[in-house]
Amino acid sequence: MATTDLYEYPQELREEFEATEAIQFRDGSQATGADIWHYMTEVAPKKYPYAYTQRKYVDGRMSRDIHLPSAIKHNYLLLTMNDRINKSRENGSPVIFVQGGQSVDPYYAAGGIALRPASVGMWSRGRHEGLGLNEEVVRRHKQKEKAYHAISFEACQTAGYESIQEGGLPVDMVAPFTCLRCSDISYGVEAHRHGPNKTVKLMNIDYPMRHQADKQWAVEYFSDNLRRLTREIGKIAGREVTDDDLSKEIRLHNEGRRLAIDIAELWWSADVPPTNGLDRRHILQMGGMEIHGDPSASLTILRESKAYISERVKNGIKAEGVVDKPVRLFICGSCVRPNDFRIEEAGAIIVGNDNHWSDICTLVKEEGDPYQNLAHAILSYPYEQSVELRAAWTIEQLKKSGADGVLFLYQWGCNTQSAVARMLCDTIKRDTGLPTMIIEQHEGGSEQSEQLLNRINAFIEMI
Amino acid sequence: MAIKTLEVIRKRLEERPAELKKLRENGQKVVGWTGYNVPEEIIHALGFIPIRIAIGGDDRLVEVGGRYASSKNCVFIREIVGAFSENEDPFIQQTDILAFDATCLQNFRAAEVIEYYFKKDVIVLGVPRNFYWEEGKEYFGKEADEFTRLLEERAGVSLDLAKLGESVALYNDIRKTLKSIYSFQAAKDNVISWVEVFDLIQAVDLLDKKEYLALLHQTLAELQELQHNPVIEVDGNDARIFISGSLIPRGDRKLINIITSVGGRIVGDDIWTGILPHLDLDIKEISPAGVALGYLNRTPHAALPYLDLESDRRLKKLHELLAEFKAQGVIYHTLRYCDPFTFKAKETKDVLAKSAIPVLEIHTEYAGSDYEALRTRLEAFVEMIKIKAESAAEVTV
Ligand code: SF4
Ligand code: SF4
Repeated sequence: MATTDLYEYPQELREEFEATEAIQFRDGSQATGADIWHYMTEVAPKKYPYAYTQRKYVDGRMSRDIHLPSAIKHNYLLLTMNDRINKSRENGSPVIFVQGGQSVDPYYAAGGIALRPASVGMWSRGRHEGLGLNEEVVRRHKQKEKAYHAISFEACQTAGYESIQEGGLPVDMVAPFTCLRCSDISYGVEAHRHGPNKTVKLMNIDYPMRHQADKQWAVEYFSDNLRRLTREIGKIAGREVTDDDLSKEIRLHNEGRRLAIDIAELWWSADVPPTNGLDRRHILQMGGMEIHGDPSASLTILRESKAYISERVKNGIKAEGVVDKPVRLFICGSCVRPNDFRIEEAGAIIVGNDNHWSDICTLVKEEGDPYQNLAHAILSYPYEQSVELRAAWTIEQLKKSGADGVLFLYQWGCNTQSAVARMLCDTIKRDTGLPTMIIEQHEGGSEQSEQLLNRINAFIEMI
Repeated sequence: MAIKTLEVIRKRLEERPAELKKLRENGQKVVGWTGYNVPEEIIHALGFIPIRIAIGGDDRLVEVGGRYASSKNCVFIREIVGAFSENEDPFIQQTDILAFDATCLQNFRAAEVIEYYFKKDVIVLGVPRNFYWEEGKEYFGKEADEFTRLLEERAGVSLDLAKLGESVALYNDIRKTLKSIYSFQAAKDNVISWVEVFDLIQAVDLLDKKEYLALLHQTLAELQELQHNPVIEVDGNDARIFISGSLIPRGDRKLINIITSVGGRIVGDDIWTGILPHLDLDIKEISPAGVALGYLNRTPHAALPYLDLESDRRLKKLHELLAEFKAQGVIYHTLRYCDPFTFKAKETKDVLAKSAIPVLEIHTEYAGSDYEALRTRLEAFVEMIKIKAESAAEVTV
């Protein structure tokens, strides 16, 4: 790929950006504005040219809201994933593969690093330098193909198998919360038992179902699962994990969650969208403290983002690329989402989603037994409740976010969320009268199919 | 030589829906259950009539069910949802309460969909994925207590442990007798076929348990009369087939019919509508938790993940049954979108390949469109086994 095809950050921004806050890492080190600017303008375009593609609709295309420092910093953290994770591993922090929609407090409390599929993918991608977009897409697909072959061609996801078993990525443990919103996670974990990597430890953190938060025995069982988890990670990290470690981590993660809630409320309160949909999603997701593989780093960006967004809301600044009165869409369902750029071109904006948001906005009690508190909070995630309860919470989010319509997306091969889609949409329609649409997405190219986007566009026009 | 009692059972199955209707008019309640770890004795001991909802083979119902759940659910679950929507199945029509378990999360979701759209009274039993941990067992015991409490509420009586003991004894006798009958079908010069035994096993899901046990004893007596000493051994002319994988419920005959039509002889199975759920069920304590743990400690269902391949009891049991029934080839059957079994298909094939057991994977659904393609593949597989068996026989001679 010729360098001229690559996006370049405007040099006139440099001074302003370099003066922004440094990212503070968990190990005490930091990256200043100048470090980040240098990396993003000099180093990364050569190492990872695909990330600087000018193609608009590519999944993973970086935000162009260059006046929002968090957008650049978020991408800096993603592009440095390989270097940072390798360094942390060398310093004794085991890496644990987890899944989306779960909190990661116990993993960090035990001295580990929890990475969900997207972050594991970034780490793995970071090991292949100099690739253009097409080369990178081909590489990824080839690897994924191997995983489907080793697991099942009907699998909607592969639990990082392609990276951990086929790609030699040194993940120490695969230990997600299973059953949480999804059945396939546990089969994905199990599939690792027949892979060539015999060193990776496997564990299911078993999430009980059906009125789980109201059953003391379910809370205890899940809390036992969490205790076993921290013990096992502690063994790899060579340390004993105390209750106090977990309490401290809960406090830290609660801060992230609270910041995300504050930012969401600010964002929703604005007359015009203060950021584009992509940045909104990225910033709020940082409240889950998992996306960068370093909760402290996520926390620094969250704090800074809050200040920037407050300012924009106060001054009525609208994000670039968003139309004046966009149709406000709320997204339901796991593992897939529509392309933000296309949505915005069609005159809409995504104002919220239920999946990760469900765990991010669930605060954990800070007094008392931390395992029980955490277990109770996790078992209370609104996304994981019966359909009526999940719908009631979703409706609350729809109201807060001023949504005009709901899109429920699920992935081809997803047996669990697909089965909930119609019930949830019917309940939302019944109780709010809002229009809803269910869409099945086929994983495939880096860009979404025209057919899918046409359907979404028609939905937006209808609203 | 026909076994006369089988005819009686067929007739009793036909009469059963009308009989259930009458019993309900007289105040009895029918609990329809579906899942893989539902402790049926508890339902029985509370005075309910338990029937298992396991139907398949109707593509139209699959299509209807998919509208409420989704086209990405396994065809079995879709058909069940479709059957509740159409309400034409004579047994489903007679259900008052439904009991589902969460062994397979698709079953769990089906419970939600049926509850939501068809306003059924549904009880769900949670099942631990870490079923081999002490903590998992404790959780399951408590879930069984809760399951019992919810049933007691509906029964208007408390569970009497003496009655539970009687139900356990009755079911134990059924399981023991079924096991004895099962070995006859695999014997040389067999007087009963696997298909007949399979039907017989499925009748337990619907008939009155005491009557069923009497009929089983009668069947066994007839068999013993006809064949004093059944010996399981390979006969040169047979292609001895073992069916593994996703369940084959009442109404789904496609695979079985094709296997037999191309000359295969089915001699064993480890499917969850076959003999497997009736094996190794050891109830150590007469209590809801004790019964439930007996169920959980059986050979685990594929929906419950087990993380060490070497000590996997499901695969161990498969090998054990293959040896016991002297099977010469395995048909690994996976239903469309049945992830518990499709995720393990390649792995199971690899494991069996190490033991030099031929395997054919059949991935199918209830539509008839793949009938000819399946027939061709199965014909070739059966042929291959026969050739292998013949050459082995020649070597021995
Ligand atoms: S697509 Fe559905 S089944 Fe697959 S991982 Fe996501 S939630 Fe689970
Ligand atoms: S085990 Fe397979 S057939 Fe049974 S309910 Fe689950 S997905 Fe369906």
